[in-house]
Formats: sequence, structure tokens, C-alpha cells
Amino acid sequence: MDVDRLADYSRVCGYRLGSTLPPTYPHVLAFPQQLALMTDPAFPFGTAGLVHIGNALTVHRPLPVDRSLALTVSVGPVSAHHRGAQVELVTEVRQDDTIAWESTSTYLSRGASAPGGATVAGKEPVDGPTPPPMPTATWRVPADIGRRYAKVSGDFNPIHLHPLTARAFGFPGAIAHGMWVKAHALAALEGRLPESYRVDVAFRKPLTIPGTVRFSAVAADRGWDLGVWPGSGERAHLLGTVRPT
Amino acid sequence: MASTVRRAAILGGNRIPFARTNGPYARASNQDMLTATLDGLVARFGLQGERVGEVAAGAVLKHSRDYNLTREAVLGSALSPWTPAYDVQQACGTGLETAILVANKIALRQLESGVAAGVDSASDAPIAVGEDLRQVLLELNRARSPKARLAALARLRPSALRPEIPRNGEPRTGLSMGEHAASTAVQWQISREAQDELTMASHRHLAAAYDSGFFDELVTPYLGLSRDQNLRPDSSMESLARLKPVFGTRLGDGTQATMTAGNSTPLSDGASAVLLASADWAAQHNLPVQAYLVDAETAAVDYVHGEEGLLMAPAYAVPRLLARNGLALQDFDFYEIHEAFASTVLATLAAWEDPEFCKQRLGLDGPLGAIDRDRLNVNGSSLAAGHPFAATGGRIVATLARLLKEKGSGRGLISICAAGGQGVVAILEAA
Amino acid sequence: MSDRYRDLTLSPVGRRVTKTLGLPRPAVLRRYTPGEPLLPGPALLASSGGALGEVLARTLDAAGVELHAADDGTREFAALVFDATGVESVADLAELHATLSPALRHLGPSGRLLVLSRPAGTATSAAVGAARQALDGLVRSLAKELRAGGTANLVTVEEGAEQALESTLRFFLSGRSAFVSGQVVAVTTADRDRAAAPEDWDRPLTGRVAVVTGAAQGIGAAIASCLSRDGAHVVCADLPAQGERLAGVANQVGGTALQVDITSDRAAQRISEHAVGRHGRLDIVVHNAGITRDRLFANMDDATWRSVLAVNLDAQLRINAGLLDEHILGADSRIIAASSTSGIAGNRGQANYAASKAGIIGMVRTSAPDLAGVGGTINAVAPGFIETEMTAAMPFAVREVARRINSLKQGGLPVDVAETICWLSQAASGGLNGQVVRVCGQNLVGA
Repeated sequence: MDVDRLADYSRVCGYRLGSTLPPTYPHVLAFPQQLALMTDPAFPFGTAGLVHIGNALTVHRPLPVDRSLALTVSVGPVSAHHRGAQVELVTEVRQDDTIAWESTSTYLSRGASAPGGATVAGKEPVDGPTPPPMPTATWRVPADIGRRYAKVSGDFNPIHLHPLTARAFGFPGAIAHGMWVKAHALAALEGRLPESYRVDVAFRKPLTIPGTVRFSAVAADRGWDLGVWPGSGERAHLLGTVRPT
Repeated sequence: MASTVRRAAILGGNRIPFARTNGPYARASNQDMLTATLDGLVARFGLQGERVGEVAAGAVLKHSRDYNLTREAVLGSALSPWTPAYDVQQACGTGLETAILVANKIALRQLESGVAAGVDSASDAPIAVGEDLRQVLLELNRARSPKARLAALARLRPSALRPEIPRNGEPRTGLSMGEHAASTAVQWQISREAQDELTMASHRHLAAAYDSGFFDELVTPYLGLSRDQNLRPDSSMESLARLKPVFGTRLGDGTQATMTAGNSTPLSDGASAVLLASADWAAQHNLPVQAYLVDAETAAVDYVHGEEGLLMAPAYAVPRLLARNGLALQDFDFYEIHEAFASTVLATLAAWEDPEFCKQRLGLDGPLGAIDRDRLNVNGSSLAAGHPFAATGGRIVATLARLLKEKGSGRGLISICAAGGQGVVAILEAA
Repeated sequence: MSDRYRDLTLSPVGRRVTKTLGLPRPAVLRRYTPGEPLLPGPALLASSGGALGEVLARTLDAAGVELHAADDGTREFAALVFDATGVESVADLAELHATLSPALRHLGPSGRLLVLSRPAGTATSAAVGAARQALDGLVRSLAKELRAGGTANLVTVEEGAEQALESTLRFFLSGRSAFVSGQVVAVTTADRDRAAAPEDWDRPLTGRVAVVTGAAQGIGAAIASCLSRDGAHVVCADLPAQGERLAGVANQVGGTALQVDITSDRAAQRISEHAVGRHGRLDIVVHNAGITRDRLFANMDDATWRSVLAVNLDAQLRINAGLLDEHILGADSRIIAASSTSGIAGNRGQANYAASKAGIIGMVRTSAPDLAGVGGTINAVAPGFIETEMTAAMPFAVREVARRINSLKQGGLPVDVAETICWLSQAASGGLNGQVVRVCGQNLVGA
């Protein structure tokens, strides 16, 4: 394990450097493989304009820093979404030949259609409370977070790097990586996460940077209900749950 | 308010192995190390979710953003998030001072339990901007108009961009701690050989203590390190003699330079913690008492105007502590004298043996006398373990408490010198 | 969840391929979750003039199991419980066949076949002894015939030991015994007075203090977690060098960490000081720590031989002796030692390991009377292929074969070993002493 890289990642996301990997870290380890799959001609959609709309990850057990792990990335089936078609990217981490960690990222290709004219895959994944709960924290998200997270994750998608490159893709300004928002939310729960758990989040309204946002974590079902909302307004940036497994 | 004062019990401790600077913990922050150390303490004593009375800790090299370092570490640890915490800073005396603070509150019945801790990273040291740049930035912040901002920026010179790295030096003398210690060594005529012997003993004692399992209940590995990185079990007089002096080389003709990288402590990274409580709390939690913190004393000397050596304050603190407790220097089974430099320990011992020093400086009738050197730092000290400034006190308190528990009786003396011409000393007694 | 091959066979395409090629199709095993019913469906309780009818009916009824006395072919059973204590002749066996043979077809997924008999050794005539021993071969065969995660086990119940049966009955019917099949377990009267039922069968270890060696990872961490879930306070012990992970495990299970080298002279003392000093008692000792240093015997140097025997066998012997000498272990105390199927069957390149694990079996059998003397028990579990880092180090092909050559066609999980240990740890399991229970899915090796 590259401790320097882990330390950089932990700093950017707000995790402590300890004996186990942050729950979102395998995601960046797998990023090169994910990218290779998504840019493969056999991948159902072009990468441009593909939107990361959700991620569900399960920590089956803590991943020790000093142990090697085996990563597998695979593409799931394409299904319909009411704004186009979606595809799942599944990442697995094996240690001791059993799955220790797994993650499913859902990507939306707007306006695309699922093969075979499949029907619309119903509802949005998680629905948040309205109005949003009392914020647990206010995050001042700096303008360079996209570049800093790009450096530690390898995800140099131009929509995160600079307002100009983001505008070229139709965003009002640079936006934070969804996985950074998720990581930062989990870092806020340091020391308060169960032994094994699943974190299911939906990435909603893009978080334009710099920005001041409200974070909320409410204890629920031996886990947490999470949300990140703009400084004002009720359309969430991220909604999710943490549940023990 | 309750009227009687009671004794504060030491139930045990935990630390991570100490690393040399820019070693395995190069990327770990003070908060990372302190959190890991608290978690190890929680695991050893089954304190998951426990609200202890308070956690007092500190760091000598501290980022300004870490103004609430200890509380932040508690929030990230397995302790109850309802545990209050505060930061303490008294240079290298920090770790012992936190233990004294917690112990005093327990003695006064303000607390039933508490954790005293300390952490330092010389690797992840705070770097400040130079004074010129700082002034420009402050002015820029105050500026209300674009014109004013430009004016502020116009004062910026390339030289202002040089960062200020914290130095191991005294602000008032400009001398490093090593240079100060070197002149004290010359003053007390501490030989190179005596320093190297003490150094070798420190390494051998620490290695033997590890081999005997003494540290199994005191140390929890961190980031792959399971023993103090600085430890050289095979240290010999020959290998130590080969090292060139690094301090005191400009004193006199240079032949009096005796202090090397071997008989001085290296810059280190690490953290330690001690669990203290009332005897009642310990009994309720089924935790055996290892020792009691009986009394403590701090002293400071005027090292600025040349009256006394920078690291000689413990020589003054100890006799005051002895007098208050009606004890002689020889009434101890263990002596834990922090080895900032081998010469510091030896100069302190020489001062106590010196009739003139004891009469004139300490105002005593005669010398405090010599100690049984077989009782000194019996399981090694900072020369071998390393010295992450604020973590040293916790290391020593937990080590001595365990020594006293294993012996089953007796008394131990702790003496720690600190920057700014200060000294923190304490007495522990077996339970 | 743990097994790519099994996942493949569950997919529509995979199912067709494996069926065509005649490849094994491993099932997803039913495992235990606290609070769930003992069985997911009804049970058939049959008998051939047995003596346990009443106690079985009462116990299972109290456990909330829907009981049926006959199989009318209309429903699927989650378990078949056959009281064969009355089987004393070849004719009685025919009666058993007449009942069980058709019922077996109505056993649901992860179904349980549990046969109860009297121990063959107490038979008074050759005919009775033969009939009882016949059950042994019958149950082991049925364990191999069952499909879809089903298990078959035989429990022999000594006369008068009926009251000590409940924890064993519950274990074998529940998801806790997912990977235990083809086993014969003896419930004896040895400690029946002490086999008191817990107040809550979901937390049978409430108030008990356990120590687990090798708790920093793998099976040891699973054991710590399982004991804690069942209500015990767990002292998690491992080598000082494993301290960081050990602290993590201890904090997760709400236990305490004890850094100790079990081969040191002071190990027993350190363990008892920690457990008794902190918690006032020590009830359960789980000897899980073990190492492998594989080498063909002809090439094995002295150090390789000694280190494995020192950790896997000598340390356990010395700790047990130390704890018994100091009277640390008292009434209802439990020692559970980790053996291995390698210790039963031997394994090429593992002479040292197999010797140590066979030694454990000898230790357990010989120490049983000593433990009974203080009102405790000592038993061993012998895991087969369990998905751990030890097995992950095996070459791929060897591992795949090892994983499949059992009746459940898959490797077990660390939790399966842990559940078995938790069952043996219960105060209510006082009727089990000096036994070796294999957690191997009825592995061909060491059967």
C-alpha cells in the first residue's frame, strides 16, 4: 500500500490515517480499471456526458492498510432511467479470497435508451426529507477541491477542474466529485460507523464549487441518514443512508 | 464541595512505537497519532463508548488549525463523544503536566477518571509564512478596495516567500537546545565516555524490556511499526565512539565537544496516553491500580542571563518535592530521568552530588547525594526510544507505573526537563 | 457472497452450463441472524418407539417450531427430527427407512436432518449395538445425498442426559450449524445438572467472560464478534505485533485487547490476570491461534517443526495446565481448542501442522475428565476448508478442489467455525465433553 497516496487522499477527504483503509478508498484504487472499462468500445455509452448518479458501497469488514487486496471491476446490465438509460459499474475487493468490500456505481446517460426498449426503471433511489433536517455541519467547499480530489483519485474529468472546462460541458461552474462528497460525509462519521455496513447514496443536484453547503447526519436504524444540501434551498446534493449489515 | 483530598491512581497507559522523523509516520498528523493512541487505550481497558471525566493532551509542534487537537481526537476515537477535552502545552513537560492536571482534579474530587496524553510530529511540523509575507497577507485581508489590495501586494518581495520552519531553538538565546546542553556538559565536565555509556545502557535496557514482553501492555503498533524505530539493541561503546560530535563544536577549542547524534535524542514522531482515575472508579470498572501519582513540582531557571543551564530546572524541582514529602533522594526504587541528552541526565546527577551547588543554588545544608545507578531508567529512556516532545511524559508515567506494579511496592521519581528552562517532576508510589 | 464459482452457478447461463457438464452447484447456506425463528418452516418429528418424544416435542414447541408428527406429502419441511433411541434391531431400521425415505424428498433448502440415538457403546447386545452403529453410516450417507445446503447429523444421547440436549438441538436446527454436516455428537450425563438453559437463547453467553487467542484477524476476529453477539465479554488476545488490528477488533466487539505471546512462560498468568483482574472471572477459553510452516517432512528443519508445535499445541497445553493449576477455571468453564481436518486425515507437506492438530484432539480427550472435575468441559472444533488468508495462500487449482470436495460443495466461512465454538461455549452445553466437532461441510478429507 502506498502510504503517501493514502495520506494525500485522507487529507483531501478528511479521514484519519490509521490502520484500516477509509471506506471509499478502494474506489480510487479501482479508478484506472473503471476508466478502462468505460472507455472500452464495448461499453454501452460514451463517457462524455455520463453522469454519476449513485453509489452503494458495502464494507464487509475493515480493510487493513498493510495487506494486499484484489480488485475486480465489471459492468452490469443497462437499464432504463426516466431521463435516459443507466448502467452499473461493480467493483469488488477480495481479501482472503472472500469479498471484503464492494461498490456499485450507477451512471446515467441522458437521452440514451436501454436496449430492447426496457421500461423505465422507476423511482429515484433515495428520497430525502423536506424540509431538510437541521444541519449537523456547514462545509465550506473550496474552489480547488475538484483539482485536489482529481490528483488523489486520478479522476480528471474536466467538469471538476475549472469553471471554464465545466461550462464547456454545460455546467454553471466546476462541480465537486460525487465520490468526494460521499467520502467527506463518511469522514464526518469517523469512529461512529458499525463493524460492517452499507452506504447507499444518490448524487442529486451538482455541488458547484466553491460553495457553502449544509451537511446532516441523523441516527437511524443503528446507522445514519445522510444528506448534503445547498446553503439555501431544498434540492439536495447528496442523499444517502448508512446501515449495518 | 468535598473536603478531603484523595490519591489519584494510574491504571495504565498506551502509546504507539516512536518513529524517527520522516520515518514510517512521516505522513501521520498529530491528530492521526493521538486518535490511534486513544483507540489503543480504549481497546486495552475496554472503554468503548465510555465517557471519561476528561482528556487532557497536547503537542509542542502544533498547527494553528489544531487549536482543539485533543477534543478533535476524542471525537474521532472510540471514546464517548460526550467526553470533554482540552489542550495543554508546556514544551517537553507537556505529557507529565497533563498527568498532573488530571491527577489533581481527581485528587480534588472534580473528576473520577481522566486520560492524560501527548503527541508530537517533527515530520508533519507546522510551517509558518515569514513575518513579511504574514504582514502583507493581513493587510490584504483588511483591504477594502482593489486599489488597496494592489498596494498591499506591491509590498511583496520574493524573499518574503521563504517559509519559516520551526526550529529546535530558544527564542531568547538563538541557541539550539543541543548547544545549551553542550555548554552545561562542559560546565559539569561530563565526559564523552560517560555519555556514551548511558546511551548504550538506554538501548540495552529498552531492548531487554521489549524482549521480556514488558511493553506488551504499554505499546500498540501503528502503521506497521511495532517497536521504537530508534532502538539499536546492538549499540556498543565502539559504535557510539565512532560518531562525530554535533553540538558544542564551537565551544572553546572544540576538543570539549562530546555530544553526538548517538548520545542526543533524535527528532521523533509519536504519541502516548495514560489512564488515571480514583480508586473507586477503578474498582467499579474492575481495573487494577498500578500506582498512585503522589505529588509533583515544577521549576524554572533563568537560563537567559547565564545563571543556569537551560535543562537544569529539574535539579531545582526535585529537592523542593523531596522536602515537601519528607524524602531523601535515595528513598526511591526507580528513577526515570528523561534523557533529552545523555549529558543532561549526568549533569543533573552531578549537581545533586555537588556540595557547593546544593548549598549555594539549592540552599541545602549538604549534597542530595548519589543515586543507585542500577535504578535509573531501568527499561530504557528517550535516548533509545526517541523523544516526540509531548509524548515523552506519558511514556515515562506509564512505564514507571508498570514497573511499580511488577515490583509490588516502592516509589519512583520522574524528572523531565523542558524548553524555556523548565522542569516537571513527580513521585509515583506502588498501589 | 464469497464465492465466484457459486455466484456463476446461480446465474441462468451458469446454471445451464454447470448442469450440462455435471459440475457441482453449491447452494447459498442458511446462516443465523439473531432474533429470527429457529427454523424457517415446519419440522417433522418422527420416532420409532423412542424415549425422547416428549422432551423433543416440548423443547421444539417452546422454541416456536411448528411440529408435525406425520408427513402427508403436502408441505415442505425445514427439518426432519428422528428419535431413533428406540432403534434396537434390523427391523427397527426398516421402520426408520419407511418413515425417512419419503420425507427426505420434502426437505426444503438448507434443510436439517437430525437423528437422535443412544450411544452404540452402551448397547447390551450385539444386535442393539449393530443397529445403533448402523445409524452412523446412514446419517453420514444422507449428509452426502442431501442437496441445496441440507445437512444431516447424528446426536447420541446417553440415558439421563435428555435435559442437557437443548443447546445441541437448537444448534443443529438453526443456521448456526450451516457448515456442520455428517457429524456425530455425543450428549452425556457428565454435567447435566449444570446444563441450565439461558434466559435468552439469542444471548446465551450473557455475563460470561471469554478469551480468544489469535483474535486480530480471520477466524479469531469472527469468533470474538460471535461471542460478543451472544452476550459474552471478550478478551481479544494476539501477538504484540498484531496490536493495531487487535485494538480495532476489540473496539468493534466492545471487548478488551490483550497483547500476549501465547508461547511465553507467563501466558497463562497474563490471561488470567487480565480476565480475572478486570472481569472477576474467566469462563471460556478459545485456543484459536495457530500457524502453518509447510514443508515436506524430509526437508523440514528443526525450527520449522518446533515453531508450529510450540504455537499450535504446546502453548495450549501450558495455558490449560496453568489455568487449571491456579483454579481459574471453575463450574461451567469451557475450553474450545482449534484442531483441523488436517489433524484427522494428515496432509502432505504439513506433517508439523497435522501433528499439532492431531495432538489437540488427544489433549481434548485426555483433559475432559480434568475439566469435568471442576464442572467444565473441553472440546475441539476441526475446521475443514474455511475461506481465510491461510487458504487464500494456496495455489488456485488446489484451492478450488479443496473447496469443492465436501458435501456442501463450497468453502465454509469464519463465522461457521465461530458459531460452533459459541455453541460449545454455552453453559447449557455441559453435556458435551472431550469431543471433536468438524466444521467442514463433511469434507472427504478426514471423514
